[in-house]
Amino acid sequence: MMKQMSQSNQNHKNTQQMNQQASVKEHTNQQASVKEQMSMKKKIHVILHNLLLAALAAFWLIPIVWLVVTSFSAYTGMNTSTFFPKEWSIANYKNLLYSSDTVAQFPNWFKNTFMIAIIVCIISSCFVLMVAYATSCMRFRMRKPLMNMAVILNLFPGMLSMIAVYFILKTLNLTNNHLGLILVYSASSGLGYLIAKGFLDTVPVSLREAAYLDGATEHQIFWKVVMPMSRPIIVYTIISSFMAPWMDFVFAKIVLNSGVSSQWTVAIGLYNMLDKSLINTYFTQFCAGGVLVSIPISILFYIMQKFYVEGITGGAVKG
Amino acid sequence: MGKIQRKQKQPGIWKSLGRYVRDLWDAVVHGDLWVKASLVICGAGYVGRKQYVKGLLVTGLEVLVLLYTFLFAPAYVSKFSTLGTVKQEAIFNIVTMKNEFNDYDNSFLILLLSLVSFVIWFSFLLFYLYNVKAVYRLQLKKERGEHINSLKEDWKSLFNENFHITLLFLPILGIVIFTIVPLLVMILVAFTNYDQQHMPPTNLFTWVGLANFKALFTSGGLTISFGYAFTKILVWTLVWALFATITTYLGGILLSILINSKYTRKPKLWRLLFIITIAVPQFVSLLLVRSFFANNGIANTFCANIGLTELLRTWGLIRTSYIPFLSAPGWAHVMIILINIWIGVPYQMLIATGVLMNIPGEQLESAQIDGANRRQIFWHITMPYMLFVTGPTLITDFVKNINNFNVIYLLTGAYVTTDQAMANSQGKETDLLVTWLFTLTQDYYNYKMASTIGIVVFILCAVFTLLAFNRLIKGDREEMFQ
Repeated sequence: MMKQMSQSNQNHKNTQQMNQQASVKEHTNQQASVKEQMSMKKKIHVILHNLLLAALAAFWLIPIVWLVVTSFSAYTGMNTSTFFPKEWSIANYKNLLYSSDTVAQFPNWFKNTFMIAIIVCIISSCFVLMVAYATSCMRFRMRKPLMNMAVILNLFPGMLSMIAVYFILKTLNLTNNHLGLILVYSASSGLGYLIAKGFLDTVPVSLREAAYLDGATEHQIFWKVVMPMSRPIIVYTIISSFMAPWMDFVFAKIVLNSGVSSQWTVAIGLYNMLDKSLINTYFTQFCAGGVLVSIPISILFYIMQKFYVEGITGGAVKG
Repeated sequence: MGKIQRKQKQPGIWKSLGRYVRDLWDAVVHGDLWVKASLVICGAGYVGRKQYVKGLLVTGLEVLVLLYTFLFAPAYVSKFSTLGTVKQEAIFNIVTMKNEFNDYDNSFLILLLSLVSFVIWFSFLLFYLYNVKAVYRLQLKKERGEHINSLKEDWKSLFNENFHITLLFLPILGIVIFTIVPLLVMILVAFTNYDQQHMPPTNLFTWVGLANFKALFTSGGLTISFGYAFTKILVWTLVWALFATITTYLGGILLSILINSKYTRKPKLWRLLFIITIAVPQFVSLLLVRSFFANNGIANTFCANIGLTELLRTWGLIRTSYIPFLSAPGWAHVMIILINIWIGVPYQMLIATGVLMNIPGEQLESAQIDGANRRQIFWHITMPYMLFVTGPTLITDFVKNINNFNVIYLLTGAYVTTDQAMANSQGKETDLLVTWLFTLTQDYYNYKMASTIGIVVFILCAVFTLLAFNRLIKGDREEMFQ
């Protein structure tokens, strides 16, 4: 079989494939040693491939490793002389968790961020799924204009509207208030419906039609037909909206600007630790905080990315 | 075939507008007494068809809007043309023995609340016109002897054929209040002189026409000119977006091909290692990298130890005793793009992996049988397929990078510009338009210029999105795959 193909290949007489043809000739002449050679070649390929990947991965992980080892350093400021700390200790974690001061109030930040994240997660997941269902599964007159509107709105830099939002919150007396931050994160979340819509577009329309014929209302179809089939995208939406308050620091910085550190979220708290005047006393604590935040977020991210890929590629193929 | 179908699906905007006006005209001319009455009292048409509660609700809404219009709005809307004339002044009140403020104007409140009024009025106008047509439709239904919904049935329809209204109401309300109104406010601010010298409530600001745009696009002159900084930052923004998009895109594809290669052992483990770097929140990882490459950071110690710093000094590439990775123009620009590769490639790798797995296997096989080598397969099969599927995201990525606040702001927080002309405009060489906008508002309260820049960013993004317009909006082939 292989031979036949290689022969037909030779008949092709393609100049570009001279190399391969040469190897093919060898192939026929020395069949006995070929297998060994092949497996040797393959082994070399495997080793080279994995070595290259290992080198890349090592390069990619340097900062992460540095984060972890620095967080276990006995030194408080920035470690500038050696990559690994000279003395190891868990003092940074202890200080961070049990002895809060005016600058570092990690337990408080964590609690704040967690509360905000939960509420934002509920509101924005609902909004996103609602908009996605309406635009994907229903047909109404304003559908296309509304979707075009969303595209245009997404083009404005978020920072621009943020300034005015800040003033609106200020007039409503909602700055330096978690409610204000929750509103900022969740109120406009309906605009991020595209990935969820891309997924819902793949739910076969015949299923819904069957439900219509059985006399189901749109409301029942939403809950009993489409939602149960959309578990991946629901998980994705929930995790991504839960993560938003953990990842963002710009909006939090604008809304919670009073300088009362017990009110802050993790992001602004940690950012503040690297202030010029504080970095030399708090850098290792920053690293410890970074590690503590990264662990739950990484796990969530790992779960989410599987669904993310599905949503993105699914949505892209489906236009 | 496809074209004809699309045309039928999407009538032109003028055509649908014409139909809208004609329907409205029909309703007004052919409507009976009840329909004509609902031109004044919106609920009348419903009451005439025995939909009493609905009529009451609609009339109630009308009354609310009217009350708002006559009791609340005039105080602000009447001053919209000047944005207020009375400055805040403290007057000593003899009765209370205290300093009291006069009845002053707050320009920002005037602007904001006028705009809110306009939005309310516009929404109500749309509702009013819709209402006239709806009432006329009721009349037609009655004439034809069709069934007219009771309140209960109307309510039920909100969970059935009108379910989209229920679904979309709250999200759209949120978007209007927290995105559209703020955007409109900031667009208007671009035409005022709202800055640190004109801060309400102690001061007033007013309309200045296109002066801010002029200041942004012209340079030279005696006053602070933004033109110089703007050109520099605009060029850097575009260069950055181009390089950031292309490097991470190609890098991601190459990495995912490498990981998915048949020679790779344990691809899942490798993928996990790369994912870890992006799973760490950006404010942690980027701030860390910033400290890593700081002037007195560990990267510099390392370079000094192996003699690289000395070497660069003898070559005349640096004049300082350290390598200014993130603190000198040129160096910082290159470093930012390199660090962005570090943070962006794993993302693209994830997406590329998903797409690559969807490449039809037969295509690859037949290419291999025809004797194509790996490079040929990459350029003639993999890349065209990738580009076909992810082409539009390439452009959205470009737009996202124009607005990539995090990477620049977190990495160059410690950057201080030495260029006086840049410093005059409160910018620095590594700024993108959005980070410049942010600094202008947060540190210098220069809202007028920030808004102007914001509008420019929007135009920039809109132009690039128009390139992807056909795929994003028009070429919506969602139904084909359902």
